[in-house]
Amino acid sequence: MWVWFAKLGSPRWFYELSGKWLPWLYAAMTLLMLVGLTWALLFVPEDYQQGHTIRIMYVHVPVASISLACFPLMAVAGAITLVWKMKLADMVAKCVAPIGLWFTGLALATGAIWGQPIWGTWWAWDARLTSMLIQFFLFVGVIALRSAIESTDAAAKACAVLAIVGAINVPIIKYSVEWWNTLHQPASSISFDSAAPNPPEVWVPLLIMIGAVYLLFIISLILRTRNEILIRERRSQWVTDLITRSQS
Amino acid sequence: MNTVSTPEVSTWGAFLATLRRDLLVAFKRRNDLLNPIMFFLIVVTLFPLGVSPDPAELTRIAAGVVWVSALLASMLSLDNLYRADYEDGSLEQLLLSPQPLFFLVLAKNIAHWLISGLPVVVLSPLLAYMLYLPTEAYWTLVLTLLIGTPVLSLFGSIGVALTVGLGSRGLILAVIVLPLTMPVLIIGAKAVTDVMFGLPVGSHFALLGAMLAVALSIAPLASAAALRISVS
Repeated sequence: MWVWFAKLGSPRWFYELSGKWLPWLYAAMTLLMLVGLTWALLFVPEDYQQGHTIRIMYVHVPVASISLACFPLMAVAGAITLVWKMKLADMVAKCVAPIGLWFTGLALATGAIWGQPIWGTWWAWDARLTSMLIQFFLFVGVIALRSAIESTDAAAKACAVLAIVGAINVPIIKYSVEWWNTLHQPASSISFDSAAPNPPEVWVPLLIMIGAVYLLFIISLILRTRNEILIRERRSQWVTDLITRSQS
Repeated sequence: MNTVSTPEVSTWGAFLATLRRDLLVAFKRRNDLLNPIMFFLIVVTLFPLGVSPDPAELTRIAAGVVWVSALLASMLSLDNLYRADYEDGSLEQLLLSPQPLFFLVLAKNIAHWLISGLPVVVLSPLLAYMLYLPTEAYWTLVLTLLIGTPVLSLFGSIGVALTVGLGSRGLILAVIVLPLTMPVLIIGAKAVTDVMFGLPVGSHFALLGAMLAVALSIAPLASAAALRISVS
């Protein structure tokens, strides 16, 4: 167990292993994305109230759900950085922040596009929208702090502390905002009954899209982390070897 | 035998000494003491000028205005918390002291609150009057500020501790700290608004109290960790 843990912390090991994973991840993501998008955009029946706009859900829900996972992930990576001083954990923490910011922004944007025809407004000071907006600000803060500190080591620790404090705050923000104002519908449950409000032909493509977007997230995180590894380890022998090999 | 005998200082003693020192430093620099309060008054004045002098309109936004201004005033005065100590080296002495940093940071935060938070709490009824807040909401406003402003100081301390070593900090402190303080603002302002509508506010106070308890127990830890990172 501990050998595996120590190995995982080695950037080189991660770089080589993730290089082997990437083709499979690409293939799986492309497959799921094609199936999911085609199904969601062309074959899902129209919603009896929302008509074709329901199709926005197939992008909005996966993007929003993954963006919620980004902050806890950053906090866990930060905690590992602080406790075990694992280099790889900080690289992941650094790389997940802009991706989290992007997905949060996408969730807000797709939500606005969906909200315009359904609620009749691009923006409302509703609980979920507001807590997503605050999460957006939290990501901005972490990224700003990281770019303001020059020393990589100090930036790693400082961002780890901020990420942990922020992650403790995320549920507090969520509940205080929820109780402050609510317009957003609660998440619907899934059901196998085809007469239920949410029959399988509606939620199966959603699950596929969630899978596809999760894979997209993992791929972007791996790609970013690999770049970060090359930049930080640029003086080490194995990176030099890698570059000379790719040039010859 | 030539050992230097150092007087043993208890944690409590160090806590009191830090608190006393910070208050003393603040009272020696009167301008720094007055600026956050003046800032608070000026920001509150901006709202009638910018929104409307109409009493009905002001009554509606009074709670929010006072709370937002208190938040901004606390933010403005945060820089005093560790900056001067960082520059003259006394912060390093604080980190080197054998007493737990948690309590020393807590003492500094309490001093900051006494200097910047308490005057805001004391002044708030006057501003509430100027903004036509109904009389029955006065006590709620004062009490929510009394419980809420220490949370602002405690959270703010983490932000300052993280950025104290930076050459150019600009607005980064506000970007980091303001999102963290939003729950306090939401609940504090809502308690006052609810009292105006005759709604019960016990739960709001319970939540604010819970936030203060959590902030008191966690924020100094985070501040201490952040100071060690920034100074190292």
